[in-house]
Amino acid sequence: MQATKSFEQAFLKHLLRGCRLSAVSYKSMSLQERKSAIKLSADVAMASARGGRKWTRGLITKLSKEDEHRSFLQLILGTEYGRLTKPCHGSWKIPRSKKIVRRSLRVCSRRKNNLRAPHGVKSSVLARTLVEKRTHALKRLVPGVESLDGYSLLDETLDYVISLRAQVDLMQKLLTTFEASKLGALSKCTLPERKASFVGK
Amino acid sequence: MSSRRSSRITDEEISELISKLQSLLPESRRRSMSRASAAKLLKETCSYIKSLHREVDDLSDRLSDLMSSMDSGSPQADIIRSILRS
Repeated sequence: MQATKSFEQAFLKHLLRGCRLSAVSYKSMSLQERKSAIKLSADVAMASARGGRKWTRGLITKLSKEDEHRSFLQLILGTEYGRLTKPCHGSWKIPRSKKIVRRSLRVCSRRKNNLRAPHGVKSSVLARTLVEKRTHALKRLVPGVESLDGYSLLDETLDYVISLRAQVDLMQKLLTTFEASKLGALSKCTLPERKASFVGK
Repeated sequence: MSSRRSSRITDEEISELISKLQSLLPESRRRSMSRASAAKLLKETCSYIKSLHREVDDLSDRLSDLMSSMDSGSPQADIIRSILRS
């Protein structure tokens, strides 16, 4: 499974725009600041190129929580920013009560486990607790999926992983292009050889 | 535990989704997946996502190093600048 061509184009367009904004507008940036700006651009590019998923909204919302990011985000996204950060009113009530129920279940099971002798616990109960733990871990990694479970959670995760892989792949390609242009500038006559040795990297 | 929706998601759809997710995981992590359990799949997926996040972080570092070379006014800076401008 791969991201589509249109995703790749949209991603590169947004990423280059973000890089341009961070490279040109903020000339006196420290290396760390520039790195954060590029990473931010890459995440925004990925979310806006994909659009319309739980994780894309979750990611943009998470990124816009920091004040310093918000203005940069608005700069990159323009009118899309309002659309992408609009809260989905329908889903607020249920997750909140679900969280409370889940939290109380977790406290209850923890109390139960403390009272019970370890060798008395059935393996199926342990397995279920492990799945729960790992599901919580997954929810911390994939943005915007707090309220999801089962099939929907896996579906969003799959989509997110495919997009992440494309993000890595495209950033690598961009890096390669820039580095190759550097080598090209240094020695035009031996360019083919240089390119070949570089592709091997 | 999981939300009870009225949508009829079949066992087939679930196992298809699971195998799709498994196929995304890199080869090295897939070796012990023949005895795949939900817990194992979740663990491998989590660590794969973490490693992808690290890769993005590393690539951002390297791209920012390159952007910094733009300030130097060298010929490569001009090339990079023209790529960014297009």
